Amino acid sequence: MKKEDTVKLISAEGFEFVIDKKAAMVSQTIRNMLTSPGSFAETEHGEVTFPEINTTILEKICQYFYWSLQYARLFSEAIGKFGIGR
Amino acid sequence: MSGGQKKRNFQIEAFKHKVVVDPKYADKTWKILEHAIHEIYNHNASGLSFEELYRNAYNMVLHKFGEKLYSGLVSTMTFHLQAMSKSIEAAQGASFLDELNMKWSDHNKALQMIRDILMYMDRTFIPSTHKTPVHELGLNLWRDNVIHSSKIQPRLLNTLLDLIHRERTGEVINRGLMRNIIKMLMDLGSSVYQEDFEKPFLEVSANFYRAESQEFIECSDCGTYLNKAERRLNEEIERVSHYLDPMSEPKITSVVEKEMIANHMLRLVHMENSGLVNMLLDDKFEDLGRMYSLFRRVPNGLSTIRDEMTSHIRDSGKELVTDPEKSKNPVEFVDALLEKRDKYDKIICFAFNNDKAFQNALSSSFEYFINLNPRSPEYISLFVDDKLRQGLKGVKEEEIEVILDKVMILFRYLQEKDVFEKYYKQHLAKRLLSGKTISDDAERSLIVKLKTECGYQFTSKLEGMFTDMKTSQDTMQGFYAACGAELVNCPTLVVQVLTTGSWPTQSSNTCNLPAELSALCEKFRSYYLGTHTGRKLSWQTNMGTADLRATFGNGQKYELNVSTHQMCVLMLFNNTDSLTYRDIEQATEIPSSDLKRCLQSLACVKGKNVLRKEPMSKDIGEDDVFSVNDKFTSKLRKVKIGTVVAQKESEPEKLETRQRVEEDRKPQIEAAIVRIMKARRRLEHNNIIAEVTKQLQPRFLANPGEIKKRIESLIERDFLERDNTDRRFYRYLA
Repeated sequence: MKKEDTVKLISAEGFEFVIDKKAAMVSQTIRNMLTSPGSFAETEHGEVTFPEINTTILEKICQYFYWSLQYARLFSEAIGKFGIGR
Repeated sequence: MSGGQKKRNFQIEAFKHKVVVDPKYADKTWKILEHAIHEIYNHNASGLSFEELYRNAYNMVLHKFGEKLYSGLVSTMTFHLQAMSKSIEAAQGASFLDELNMKWSDHNKALQMIRDILMYMDRTFIPSTHKTPVHELGLNLWRDNVIHSSKIQPRLLNTLLDLIHRERTGEVINRGLMRNIIKMLMDLGSSVYQEDFEKPFLEVSANFYRAESQEFIECSDCGTYLNKAERRLNEEIERVSHYLDPMSEPKITSVVEKEMIANHMLRLVHMENSGLVNMLLDDKFEDLGRMYSLFRRVPNGLSTIRDEMTSHIRDSGKELVTDPEKSKNPVEFVDALLEKRDKYDKIICFAFNNDKAFQNALSSSFEYFINLNPRSPEYISLFVDDKLRQGLKGVKEEEIEVILDKVMILFRYLQEKDVFEKYYKQHLAKRLLSGKTISDDAERSLIVKLKTECGYQFTSKLEGMFTDMKTSQDTMQGFYAACGAELVNCPTLVVQVLTTGSWPTQSSNTCNLPAELSALCEKFRSYYLGTHTGRKLSWQTNMGTADLRATFGNGQKYELNVSTHQMCVLMLFNNTDSLTYRDIEQATEIPSSDLKRCLQSLACVKGKNVLRKEPMSKDIGEDDVFSVNDKFTSKLRKVKIGTVVAQKESEPEKLETRQRVEEDRKPQIEAAIVRIMKARRRLEHNNIIAEVTKQLQPRFLANPGEIKKRIESLIERDFLERDNTDRRFYRYLA
C-alpha cells in the first residue's frame, strides 16, 4: 500500500493499525477529521490517536471498515451478518 | 463512533475509564475548546488535535453541558467577528472589498473546522433543542456582526453599485471579486441578497436607464437607438451570468425593457425620417428585425408595430389603388400590387420571424384596399390575360406556377369574386377563340387553382369552354372526312361549336356573309345537325376571323388576317372599286357601331390601311367613300389587322357588365335565402341578413338592401310569409 493512501489509527495502548484511507473514511468523523480545511495535527502526520479506545475494539472497528466497503452496494438482505461474537 | 445496537448475545458497555463529573469539568473542557476556536481564527490550528477536540465536545454534550457549549460558541464567534468587522471598516478605498472578501473566506474556513469538531453537538443536541445548526449559526452571526454593521452595510452597497455603474460607463472592474462578494450575499440567504443588494440595484438601474434612454432618444435616430438598447440589454444579461444570481436576470431585463423600450415605444415607431414607416419603405431588414425582437419583450410591443404597419399599408395601398395614373394600365396596376405584396411578405419573413399575426394583418390590409377600387377584379383578369397571351412566353413551368400562385393570393383578397368570374370568362373566351394562349397547361393549371379555391361551381363553365374547343376539333375532322371530296375548291372552314351556357353571352349580330362562304356554312350546318339532333346553331359573326390572300394593284401579294366583319367588307371590293359607307352598311347588314370600328381599323390605322378613305379624317361619316389602297405596302408577308384583343372596357361597357353582374346576383341571393329558411323555418329579419351575407361571402359582398328586396319578392311568390305574431319574423312556406 502506498503511503499517501493509508492512515494510521493508534489505540489507547499504543497499537498502530495502518489501514487504507478509503476504509477509514467509512467513519464520518474520521472523514471530517481528515478533510477538514484547517491544518489539524492529524492531517499533517496522517495518524489519529484514540486514547479512549482499546486495542481489541479498535481492531474490530478496522475490520468493520473493510467489511462495510465490501458489502456497501448490496441490498440489506444479501449482506452477510457481521459477526461480533467471533 | 456510535455503534448499531441489536440486543443479542452481547452488550456494548459504556467506557471503562472514569469520566469524572465534577463541576469544574464543564469549565475545563470548555476552556480547551474556546482556546481551540481562538487558535483556529488566528490561523494557528496546526498544533491542535482534531481527535482531542472532538472528544471533548462529545463529552460535554454527553454530560448534558450542550447548552454551555453552544452559548460559548456563540460568544466566542461573535467576539472574533467583531474584530474582523473592525478591520474591514478600517480598510481604505478599493481595498474595502478585498478585505471583506478575505475575512469572509477566513470565516468560512474556520466555520467548517469548528463544525467538524462540534459535529456531535450538531447531530444530537441541536435537533433536540431546535437550535440553529453550527453552519447556519456561523452565517447568521457573520451577517449580523459584519454585513449589517452600521458602518459596513451602506458602504458595501454603495461600493457594489458604484462598481456596476463604472462598468456600465465602460470601465473594467474586478469581476472575480464581485462574484465572490455577491455569492457571499446569496449564501447568507435570498432575503439578504434581495434586501441588501438586489432591490437597490434594480432601483438604481432603473434610474440609470431612464436617464440614459432620455438622452439617447433626443439625439439618435430610431435604428441607432434600437442598436444601443439591444447592446445594453445584452450587457446586462452578460453581467448577470458573470457575477449575479441567475434569478436576477428576468428582473433586470424587465427593468431595461421598461425604461428603454416600453416608455419610448410610440415615439420610436413614429420617429420622423427613421421610424417604422421609413424602415418599411427602405427595406431595412436588420433594423426591423431588431425592433421586432426588442418590442416582443414588452407588453403591447408587437401590437404597436403591427398597428402602425397595418395603417401604413392601408394608406399606401389606398393611394396606389385610387391613383388615376396608376390605374390606367391594368397590367401595371396588378404588377404594382404584386410587388407591394412581395415586399411586405419578404419583410415579414426576414425581419418579423414570419409572425402569423403580421401575416394576417397584411392580408386584411390588402383585402381592405384592393376592394376600394371596383375595377380590381377586372384588372386582375386582364393581367392574367396578358400573361397567358404573351407575358409568360418562354418562361419555365415552375416560374409560371409561382406567378399564378401569386395571382391567386390577390384573387383571394377580392370581395367581388363573381365580377372576376365574369371578366375572366370573357377574356378566356377571346383567348381560346383567337388561339392566342401560349400554354394550355398554364390555362388549365389556373382553372384547377380556382376550383380548389372556390369550388366546382365556379369553374364548371370554364372547363366547359375547354371541352367545346376540343370537341370542335373532332367535329371538324369528322366534317372533312365526310364531305371532304366536295369541298376541294372551297375556302377552308374552321368552326368552333360553343355551348351557349358555358360561354359569355354575346348579342348575335346580323351579318351577310359572301356567297362562297354562306354555301359552305350551310353545308356544315346540315352535317352537324345530321349528327346532333335537337340542337340549334347560330353563327356568331362578331367573334370569327378570316385569312385572305390579297393581290393589290401594285402587284404586291399579302396574306391578311382579319375579323369576319372585316372580311365581309373586303370581299365586297372584289366586285366594285369603291363604295360609300351606306353601300357597305346595306350590303353587309353589320350594325353601325361595329361597322364603324371595323372600317376604322381597315382604313385609318397607319401600316394597316388596306383601304383608302375619302375624306382622310379619323371619323366615319355616312357619305365617306372607300376604295382599295393599291399603294399598300408592308414589311411582312402576313399582315394582321385588328384582332379582337381584350381591352379595358369603355364606360358604357363597364356599366353593362356591372348591370349583368347585379342581375346574376339576384337569383343567387334568393337561392341562399330559400336554403336558409328551409333549414331554419322561422327567422328574424336581421338574422336572415347575417346568414345570407355569410353564405355568399365567398363570392361577393351582399347588399342588405338588395337582400330585403329579394325577401319581398319571395314573399310575393309565396316562398315565404311574414309571421303573424311578430312582423320581424319570416316563415318558410313549404
